[in-house]
Amino acid sequence: MQTRDGLTNDIAPNYSSGSFVFDEPRPFSIPRRAIAVVAAWLVPGAGHLLLGRYGRAALFFVSITGAFFLGLILNGRLFWPTVAEPPSTFHFDLITVLWFFAQIGSGLCYLVSYALGFGTNPHPEAATFEYGNTFMFLAGLLNYLVIHDAFDIAAGRKR
Amino acid sequence: MHVLMMSLYAAIAAVVLAAVDPKSDTTRQRLVHGLKIFGSFLGIGLLLSWVLFPVPW
Repeated sequence: MQTRDGLTNDIAPNYSSGSFVFDEPRPFSIPRRAIAVVAAWLVPGAGHLLLGRYGRAALFFVSITGAFFLGLILNGRLFWPTVAEPPSTFHFDLITVLWFFAQIGSGLCYLVSYALGFGTNPHPEAATFEYGNTFMFLAGLLNYLVIHDAFDIAAGRKR
Repeated sequence: MHVLMMSLYAAIAAVVLAAVDPKSDTTRQRLVHGLKIFGSFLGIGLLLSWVLFPVPW
C-alpha cells in the first residue's frame, strides 16, 4: 500500500480528515435516473431540468421542439409503420419504420400532434414537404442524443 | 430557400451537438465546437452541391 509522502500532504493536507471536497459529478439515484430519461424523451430538455441543468434544458427545449414544429409548419408529415405490399421480405415497410423511429424520438411533440391530427394528412405536392419531414427527423434524432446526455449526467459520468 | 433551410438545420444541429459534447467543459469551448459544427455543415453542403451540380440525375 502506498503511503502518504510530503508532496501529497502539501497538495491535499485535509484529504485524510474528510474535509477536502473534490468537484466530481455525483450519480443520482436509480429511480431519479429513470425519471430523468423518461422525462427527457417526453419533453425535450425536461431530463436536464430535473437534474438541475437549467440552461441546457432551455436550449434543448427551444431547439428540438422548434425543429419539430417548424417541420409541421413546412407541411411535414407524421410517419407510422405501414404494412409492406407483397411480395416483401418483411412484414412492415422498413423505410416507414425508420422514419417513425426518427420522429417518435421527440416524444410528446409527436404524440400530441398525432392525437390532434396535425401532420397526418400529407401534402407531398407542397414545395416544403421534404424540408418539413427532414426537420421532424432531426428533432427526434437529436432528442435521442439529449436523452443519452441526461442519462450520463444522472449516472455521474458527466457534469 | 434551400440555403436558408440548410442554415437553419445546421444551426439547430450545431446547438444540440455542441451542448452534449462530453469533451467541452466551458461555455467558450462549447461555443467554438458549435461554430465548427455549423461551419462544417454549411461548408460540406456547399461543396457537395458544387461537386454534384453537373450530375444529370
